[in-house]
Formats: sequence, structure tokens, C-alpha cells
Amino acid sequence: MNIPNSSTAPAPGEYAGDEVSAIVLDPGYSTTRAGFAGEDVPKSVCPSFYGQIDADSSSQYLFGENAIHTPRANLQIKNPWGADGIVEDWETATKIWEYAITSRLTGTKPSDPTKNGLNDGTNANGDAMDVDMDAVENQEKPLEDSPLLVTEPGWNSAKAREKYIEIAMEEWGTPAFYLQKTGVLAAFASGKASGIIIDVGASHTSVTPVLDGMVLRKGVQKSPLAGNFVSNQIRLIFKQSQPEVPLTPHYMVKSKTQVDAGAPAQAIYRNFDVPPTDSFRRYEEERVLTEFKESVVEIWPGPGRLSNTGNEDIAKSMPGRPFEMPDGWNQVFGAERFRPAESLFDANAAIQDSENPRPKDEQTIPRLVQAAVQHVDADQRPLLLQNIVVTGGSTLLYKFNDRLNYEINSIYPSTRNKLIAPGQVVERKYAAWIGGSILASLGSFHQLWISRKEYEEHGANIVEKRCR
Amino acid sequence: MPPFKDEQIIIIAPGSETTVAQLGLPESFTPARLRVRSRMFPAQKEGEWEPYKVRRRQGKLAAPAGEPQDRAQNGEVAKTAIPDGDEDDVLYEEDRVSEEGAVWPIQEGRIVNWSCFFALITHVYNALNPPFHTPILLIAQPVWTPKEHEKLTQFFFEKFKTPAFGMMDAALATSWAYGVHTSTIVDVGKDKADVTAVSEFIPHTQGRVISLAGCGGEALTQALLSRLKSKGFTREMCEQLKKSPICEILPPDTPLPGTREASEPDNITNPAAAASTGAAGSGPAAASTIGNAPRGPGADTEVGDDTGAEESEGVLDVASIVTGGRMNEYLAKKEKEKQEKAAAKKKGGAEAAAAAQARPVRLPNSKREKATFLYEDHALLDSLKNMNLGSVKLAEAQATLDEGPQKKAHEEGADGEPTSALEANGNAEGPSMTSRAGPIRREIEVGTERFMAASNDVLERIADAVHRTISSVDEVNKRSELWDSLIVCGNGSRVRGFKEALLATIQSKYLISPSSATIFTSEIPSNISTPAGTGANTPQPQLGPHGGLGGLGGPSSQVNPLLYAATTAQTQHLMPPSSNLMMSGMSGISHNMHSSHGQTPTSIKFLKPPEYFPEWKEVGFDEATFLGAQVAAKVIFVVDQGQSKGYMTRPDYNDQGPTGIHDYSL
Repeated sequence: MNIPNSSTAPAPGEYAGDEVSAIVLDPGYSTTRAGFAGEDVPKSVCPSFYGQIDADSSSQYLFGENAIHTPRANLQIKNPWGADGIVEDWETATKIWEYAITSRLTGTKPSDPTKNGLNDGTNANGDAMDVDMDAVENQEKPLEDSPLLVTEPGWNSAKAREKYIEIAMEEWGTPAFYLQKTGVLAAFASGKASGIIIDVGASHTSVTPVLDGMVLRKGVQKSPLAGNFVSNQIRLIFKQSQPEVPLTPHYMVKSKTQVDAGAPAQAIYRNFDVPPTDSFRRYEEERVLTEFKESVVEIWPGPGRLSNTGNEDIAKSMPGRPFEMPDGWNQVFGAERFRPAESLFDANAAIQDSENPRPKDEQTIPRLVQAAVQHVDADQRPLLLQNIVVTGGSTLLYKFNDRLNYEINSIYPSTRNKLIAPGQVVERKYAAWIGGSILASLGSFHQLWISRKEYEEHGANIVEKRCR
Repeated sequence: MPPFKDEQIIIIAPGSETTVAQLGLPESFTPARLRVRSRMFPAQKEGEWEPYKVRRRQGKLAAPAGEPQDRAQNGEVAKTAIPDGDEDDVLYEEDRVSEEGAVWPIQEGRIVNWSCFFALITHVYNALNPPFHTPILLIAQPVWTPKEHEKLTQFFFEKFKTPAFGMMDAALATSWAYGVHTSTIVDVGKDKADVTAVSEFIPHTQGRVISLAGCGGEALTQALLSRLKSKGFTREMCEQLKKSPICEILPPDTPLPGTREASEPDNITNPAAAASTGAAGSGPAAASTIGNAPRGPGADTEVGDDTGAEESEGVLDVASIVTGGRMNEYLAKKEKEKQEKAAAKKKGGAEAAAAAQARPVRLPNSKREKATFLYEDHALLDSLKNMNLGSVKLAEAQATLDEGPQKKAHEEGADGEPTSALEANGNAEGPSMTSRAGPIRREIEVGTERFMAASNDVLERIADAVHRTISSVDEVNKRSELWDSLIVCGNGSRVRGFKEALLATIQSKYLISPSSATIFTSEIPSNISTPAGTGANTPQPQLGPHGGLGGLGGPSSQVNPLLYAATTAQTQHLMPPSSNLMMSGMSGISHNMHSSHGQTPTSIKFLKPPEYFPEWKEVGFDEATFLGAQVAAKVIFVVDQGQSKGYMTRPDYNDQGPTGIHDYSL
């Protein structure tokens, strides 16, 4: 077996070839996606939130959907991502990602092959099994036989990037590793090598210019006006409306009774000996808000902004949408339903209070796009504007694309602007993962993997050289 | 000619508690012929496994004389004397009932002990005794990972040399059984529940709730145990109580019999009958005085029980009395009791019959404060066996202790009692079993605790899981159809009233009622937005269920929806009469009334099980997974013949290795 270095191409099939054993991991603020390369959807989608129960001396960690939705005493819901869109708590993040990979893809650590039963009975039959057992031998680390492709946000720090490869190599024991930016991958998923990628996720909105498969680092823009911001706006609307809209998560309700619109709820509530923590409640409230976003919230499609003269009146005249809270309270939302997401495009429209100041103008999506395009050579701009890829779960807000289209056309009236927004919800939500899946299953991608040998030789900063 | 015939196909569906399997597809699909408890016993050599407990017995060599006879009589305690090389008088017997020291390789659906699991599968395979040319369809638990699928594929091809192998997801199999393309499947197993949304025959892997721990049958048993522990119940007793028909899960907020609310008149299910018999005010407490009290030892029973406190206290734990050396004493007492009882029965027979006739309405279980069930005491049998009694004496002791009416025992034996610990290999053993050979039965009385099996939030947690699963389905317009086609299967849901209570829990928590504010402006037009065959109305996602004409934009949005409805209605040839709409509109009549926006669920329903499987109708569709597996086996092995890659053949395996299974499994 020849020792690969940076100048020799690995032998075909060395890193499992086109087989589906390469794993693609796409961690995000809200969910962590993982799956085998070559498949069309991630098999494993786990919440990036985790539960923590502090006991006297040690803490118990809970991962995965099943564990964190059951109200338990002192259960706190946390997230390892920092406010700047970079992982903050590496230790737990590693555990969450490992959970995402092992729980649904590889299984928990396999037992010793001599005892796992696969080899049993061969002697009884007289003919030995002709199976290569080397691959499954001595497995102690979870990823020992799978190359790993991880996605990272475009603004990731050099330190964070090194951390990724350290985790993959040291803790998971992966034989080969690669790090790629979500923007590039999302573009690949749409079959584009160049374009502007608008990714509206949970914690951040980012705009990434990509040219020939390379991110223009200077041009990467991000802002916190994304899904969580919209949720927050909804909370403010609820709080400021008269009377206040009660936001009761499901776990508190035992059974509800039908009440008239706007009437106070008449539900039977559950009693807890130890009330669940605030963070748990907030996380469960988020589920209700997600439902609200799915079924009520709408973005003013244009023309013009919602605040433009006359538009509010039109919005008011549209029939409202009703929404029922878990405790039975229900109301019809008329023009209010346009307000939570309007500030993604128009900072003036943001609902504010003392704790939630007005977002800056340059944080709105149209301004982000403008700033990103500014960093690109003038002659490349038309090319990029023809390929505006829209991705991220929050772009599924109703009429998001109509509005975005309108905004971009009003900034760049003279170019041919084209939005590329996959109609399939899965493709929109998991675009970066899908791009990673395509990339990692390409035969020509093999030479890009950073092998374990290279890592051992050059250390963690090899990512800086190899994964641009 | 198809490559495989119906009678060659093997289906294996492993489960945490029971593994079911079958060789050959019958003309009309039947419940699985082979049922095996999913456990093995460690053999003497480590890493090897035995299907039955092997008990080492210091037998006097006198025993063999009586043994052949014995074996003929006792269906299930087959004794095999294996002379040991070193000691001549050491006997080994296979005990087919005992579960002492068993290893259960599947826990919460996961395979935790692979060598044991493979031994189990091998045992099942050998028990089926298949011919050489046998394709195998394996029903995969949702929790099994792709890597584990590969491992299984490798095992099946290498070990059994099977010519073809297919793997199918359990939830998908259930949806095949019901013959629907879109459904939400709640599979309640032993220690876990899986909730899967299947749309257009594709299970949603994202957001699927896999192996929700503590939500299976075992949780129900534990809930009973926690209530009854103070009364001397063991886990085994609770397990059998759970399986007996008197254990019932009542819909949420149903008052328990014996509590004050329950005896209020409005709780009488049949007021007319109650009035005519004058039993209205009686309530369950009164009812129990007129002859419902159980016969048997213990306080408050009908037949003369002058037993002291000391006895009634220890009555549950007969095993300890027996092993404690007081057996003969106890046996004599029991014998006497039995005779007395018989005498009392004879004497009071006529009166009792009259009384029974005078009592026209037998109270339903849910209204009775107390009830009894027959408990099969395996522990007692085990301890008897451990005492090395002679077989004759053993049988005698067994007969004396057995309280189950002979006839009843026979009946129960006859219908196979699939959940019993006996390994019913086909039906062969059931009928031939005499009541004497069976486990010792005793009657045990329980109070209202028997309604509290779901008291530890099992239903709420499953309900929440269903909500989460459906909410995570990305196609919002599919959700209401998913809500309308719930399937609850799995043997954990067999407990009486479980499904109804689950549905009631889900409904009381999640059902969205039509908003009073929009009832007239949107309910009707939203129905009209049902996509017509012509496609005329299809591109109108704005027409939400409640949302009305949300974003038509511009002037058209000001059209009165009712007017709009009336004008467009003419083009709708598919539309049901509008009177119908009004009548049933409240509960949400059609799936299509939900276009891309709007909250779900507006209605929640169970799917009706298919009508055309008479054999399944009798036993219920709790194991619908296996039915679906038969349908699938027929389709992929016989009808489709591998054209759509429903199974992997031996050459495929040789070419691609275990990883190839991902291209083939359903």
C-alpha cells in the first residue's frame, strides 16, 4: 500500500470509492444533518439542542428528539452554538454530532468481531466464511471506517476549522476528512459552480458569493436576522397585543376545550411537582411558534414594502388566518401576520422593546446581498446575479421568494436576476447536506480528502491549506 | 415462471419480546405460524446459545422409569437425559417453560447482543426447517442502522446461503398490510414505541420517532407494579394481569369505579336497563355484593373463608411457602378448601343460577370495582421443580395448587394464548395439553389499580411523539391526511382500551377546532379549492383551510368568499353535495381541504383495518406488520420477481457485498 501524500493521487477505491460509506455531516444551529454520501436526503436529522440535568457532582446529558421533549425536573435545554454562528461548546457539540451519526447511521460502537456472532457457526458448517474482517476489527472509535465530510459556515474562524479536523481524527478516528463551506455545497446542490447563495437559517442569515466553486471570503455577509429572529418578533407581537396573546406550550396542557375566538382559554393544565426550567419552556414554545410560522406568518410579497402607503390597507382587507394555541385559545390574524417577517427586509418594520433594539439597516437581506455583490468584480456580477440560490429552512416562509425577487430587482434593475429556489422542501432545507453528498460521492473528489497520514504529518492546520 | 414459489418464502419478524416467522405464504394470509420468545439461554460454552433452559438435575436414576410416560403426558416439559461423561447420575433436562437466566438480544428494538441474536435467528430458521431454495424477507426494526443492515445481510447470505434476501421496514410493512400509501404508524412494542409517517409508500426518515423508550407494554406492566407492589404483587403477576381482559385503560378523565363520581347516575351506560332492574343507584360497590365477588381464597370472597390474616397475607407468594418447607401443610389446606368450594357450589348451584338470571345486566369491567384473573404461577412451578420431587408427586402438587377450572384451562390452551410463555410451536401443543400439565393457575383479585396501567404518562408521551412526527413532515399539505390515517399496532397496544384511550388523548390535546371567527368565511370555500381533475383549481395554495383567500392579492381578494364559492362550484364535478359539507364539515371532511397552509389536525382518525383477511380479523391487527410482510413477500418475490430491486439475490451479493443491500431493501 503506497503512502499517500499531497502530491500523489490515492488509488481508486482507497477511501471506499463510490460506495456509500463516506459520511456527510452538516451541523446547524437548529438541527444537525448527517447521512451517507450518495444518498438524496440525510438519514439522520437530530436537534442541535441538548438537555442537561445537573446532579450534585456530574451532569447528565440528553441527546435526540426522544429525550428532550419530555418535561423533567431541572432539565435545561441548551445549544452549543455561539451567538456569532460558530460553535462555542465544542465538547457537547462533538457529542451531539456523534449521536447524530451513531444513532441512525452506524449504530453504537460495534462489539469485538470475535464475539459479535458474525463468525459463529462457521466451524460447524465446515467452511469458513470468506469475509474480510479487517474492516470491522478493533473498532473503538465511531467512525473508523468512514471518511467524513463536514460543512462549516463561511465565516468560520481558523481555530474552529482546526477543531473540526481534530475532533474527526482524534475522537472519531476517521480515515479521511474534508471541510467545505455550506455556501459552496448549496450551490452544488443546485448544480451551480458560481452564484450568490442566500441561506436563511435558524440563527443566521448569510449571503455567500461563490465563483467557480470557491467562496469569495471577503464577500461573505451574515446577520442575525433569521428564523429565531422571526420567532422573537412573533413573541413581541404576542406580548404587545391587547390583550396579551398567551403562549402555552403543549406539555403544559392536559386537555383543551373549544372556546370562541379571542376568549380566554379553558384548558385543563398539568401540574408538575418541580416546574420545568425556563429554557425547556422556551424550547417547547418554539415548537408552537414554528407551527405559527408554517400556518400563519406571511411575507408581504410586494410591490413595495408593507409600510408603503396603501399596502397596509390591502393587507388588512385580506381575510385573516386563524391560529389555535395548544390550550385552545384562538384568534384570527389579519394584517399582523405580515409583520413578524417584514423586518427581514425592512429594519424599520421591526417590532422593538427595551430588550430588543431595532436591527441595523445593513442587516436586512437586501442590504446583505448588496454588500456581497459589492465585493465581486464588476464584470462577474451579472453572472452571479443570474444564479441566486435560495436555501435554508426559514426561506420556506410563505411568499419569501416573491418578496426577495422584488427586492433584488429593485436594487439591480438592469441585470438579469434569477432566483434558484428548489420547490422541494427537502432540497431547500438540506441543500448544503445534499451538495456535500454529491461532492463526497464524486470519483474525482477522492484526491481532495485529507488522509489520516497527512493529518499526522502536518497537524491540524492542514485544513487551512487544503480546504479553501 | 417466477423464480420463487409461495411455499418457499420465509418471513422473519424479530421483536423485543416475540419473534414471529413463517415458511410459505398460504392462500389466504394467516397470522404467523411460528412464535418464539426472543430469548436464548447461554450454553455451557461461552458464546453459544440454547433455545431452552437446560437444568442440571441431581436425579436419582429411578426417574427414567416413569419418564417415557411422563413425556407423553406432559407436552411441554420434555426431559432429555444426557449422560454426562464424568458423573453418571447427573441429568440435564430441557425446561421449555422456565425463563430463568434468559438473555434477550433485542432491547428497545436495538440488537444489543449480536451473537445471541444470530443464535435466535438460527433457531427460528431451523425450527421452520426450510427446503434449500428459500428466499428470506426480514422485517427490520426502524432503529436498526444502515450499518446494521449490512451486518444482517452478510449473516443471512453467509450462514443460510439464501438465494435471495430482502429487508423491509416494520412501519412500511404495516402500511402495506392496510393497503394504504399514506399513514401514520404507531408501533407499540415491549419497551419502546416507534412513530412513523409514511407518505406515498415512503417512510419519512427525518423527524421519525424511533424507539421512544419507556412507552411500550413493559411500561404498562411497571405502572401496574408500582401501584400493586404494596399488595404483594410481583412483576410476573402484573404482566399477566395486564394481559388479562380485566385490565383496561380507560379514556382520560374517566372516573374509576368506586370513586364518588363514578356512582353518579349519569355514569350508567345503559340507563334504561338500569332503571328497569332497579340497580341504578347500586353502583359497582353494590353490584359486587350480589354475586360478583370472586371465588377464591382471600378476604371478601364468597365461599366461606375463615382464613386468618396470616394466610390471606401470604396467599400471593405461594412459592415461598412451598420452598419454606410448609408445603404439605399448605397442600392439605388447599385440598380441603377445594372440596369445600365444590360442596358449596353444589349446594348453592340452584340458587346461584336463579340469582344469575335475576341479574340481567352484567356490569362491564370498567364499572366494577374489583375483578379477578387467573394467574399462571411459573415461579411456583419452577420452585417445585427445583425441589426434585418425583414426577408423580409433582403432578399431584400441581393439580392441588391449580385453581383454574379445568374446562377453562382447556379452552385457553386451545386458543393458543399467543402471549403465554409457552412456546406454541404451531398449534400442536395447545390442544393436546392437559390442564394438569400446564402451569399452576390461581385466581387473584385486583381493585381499581387495574385501570391504571397507563398512569405513567405513556399515552401523553406517545401522543406527543405522534404530534412531533407529523409536524416534522415537510409537505404541509400531507399532514392532515396523516392525521386522518393513524394506525396503532404492536403487541404493547393489545391492552384493552389502549387504542381508544390513545386516540382520546391525542384528540383532547391536539385537535384544532374550527375557529368561530372564520367558520362561515373560510370553511366552505376552502373545500372548494379541492384540486379538481381538470386542474382548474389546483394552483391556489392561498386557499387555506381557515385562511380563506389569503393572498390572492389585489382586488380579487376582496371578493366575498361565499360568492366565490358559489361561482366556482359549478365547475366542480367532483364536489360532494354542499349539504354534506355543512354536516360533516366541522370534523373536517376531506384531506384536500388543507392546502399548503393551515394548522393541522382538524380531524384525527384511525384507519380501518382491511376487511378481506378473515384469519386476521379474528385475532386482531396488532401484528399487522406480519400481514404486511406477507403481502410484500408475495409482491417482491413472486409478482415483481426482482424487477424493481425488491430483494437482493445471491449473485448480487457476490458482486456488491453487504453494502449493496441499500439498493435493494424496501
